[in-house]
Amino acid sequence: MRSLTTPLVLVAMLLAACTSNHAPDTITVRSTDHTCEVAPDRAPGGHLVFDVTNAGTEVTEFYLLAEDGVQIIGEVENIGPGLTRSLVVEADPGSYVAACKPGMTGDGIRTIFTVGDSG
Amino acid sequence: MFANYLIGLREGLEAALVVGILVAYLVKSGSARLVYRVWLGVAAAIAVSLAAGAALTFGPQGLSFEAQEAIGGVASIVAVGFVTWMIFWMARTSRLLRGDLENRVDRAAGRGWWSLGLLSFLAVGREGLETALFLWSATEATGSTTHPLVGAVLGLLTATALGVLIYRGAIKLDLRRFFTATGGLLVIVAAGVLSYGFHDLQEAGLLPGLSTLAFDVSATIPPGSWYGTFLKGTFNFSPRTTWLEVSAWLAYVIPVLVLFVRGARPVKTSTAPIPARVT
Repeated sequence: MRSLTTPLVLVAMLLAACTSNHAPDTITVRSTDHTCEVAPDRAPGGHLVFDVTNAGTEVTEFYLLAEDGVQIIGEVENIGPGLTRSLVVEADPGSYVAACKPGMTGDGIRTIFTVGDSG
Repeated sequence: MFANYLIGLREGLEAALVVGILVAYLVKSGSARLVYRVWLGVAAAIAVSLAAGAALTFGPQGLSFEAQEAIGGVASIVAVGFVTWMIFWMARTSRLLRGDLENRVDRAAGRGWWSLGLLSFLAVGREGLETALFLWSATEATGSTTHPLVGAVLGLLTATALGVLIYRGAIKLDLRRFFTATGGLLVIVAAGVLSYGFHDLQEAGLLPGLSTLAFDVSATIPPGSWYGTFLKGTFNFSPRTTWLEVSAWLAYVIPVLVLFVRGARPVKTSTAPIPARVT
């Protein structure tokens, strides 16, 4: 019988990569062709869940970027019109940039997102 | 509906292309009896992706961004390894156009009975999880609108149909042209997957240069257009491409194409009689 080590290691790693789909305060993002509404625009540090709904006509993406606006903390892509997809991310206290990218191109529509001290 | 259709089409195109070529190759080289292994790999990839996607969407646990990018990046690089193996396997056997072809292919394909299944599993499963997550979110949306799911499924069906067309067109070619065309095509596809894997690792922060673009033609080729969709779905062409992606692409294409062209050259057949074995 072939060794089971490799598959078992892979499964263990996969389980370690799992994280909760829920958080006490889920942040709602409404992405349209020209706007990106993030509500609330702040959350306590730690485990964050963004529920992103595409209310526009183009495929959109949602990014949580570091303060420099370049480094990607988390992203969720392929949010077609009418769909809601979630971004689950761990974030330390600090200032971030939330960006919606309708049309999957350019710098997107950006707003500041603040992560405070964990409650 | 069209936008979701294009996502389905894009997600399915690359897999349809690779599987279509693989099945055409097996049929063309007289190994049609092995084609079932390809379908097993495809079925396994679809089942695993949908199951994992459902668990992650509806269950209490999700995947962190870093984990998703790491999985995507690693899966892409492993897939490139396998497609490269496939390219050279085809090139090796294309040298035996006269005589022995069936025998050799049988032995090559039979050796490692799992390799054909694994190759098709990777071709379909590489982006399978992301596609499954997209499909499940479209399924969730059917409470309010069925358009996204219908569009997505139609897109995937179109990709499948195109794969069938590729298969039909490929088997009509004479052997030499078939190997040249499909092999060359696979090299470009594999290079695209490799550079896409690099991009994933750049997004995860494991490789630098995420914002150092080599070019940005998003205005001319919008990712959401049908041509942008085709280019992304087949060659993993991104309108915004970093220098590292370009380097990876070239570093793969140039040596592999050279080796492929060399490897595909036919063996010189000698007219001298084969000496009898000395016992």
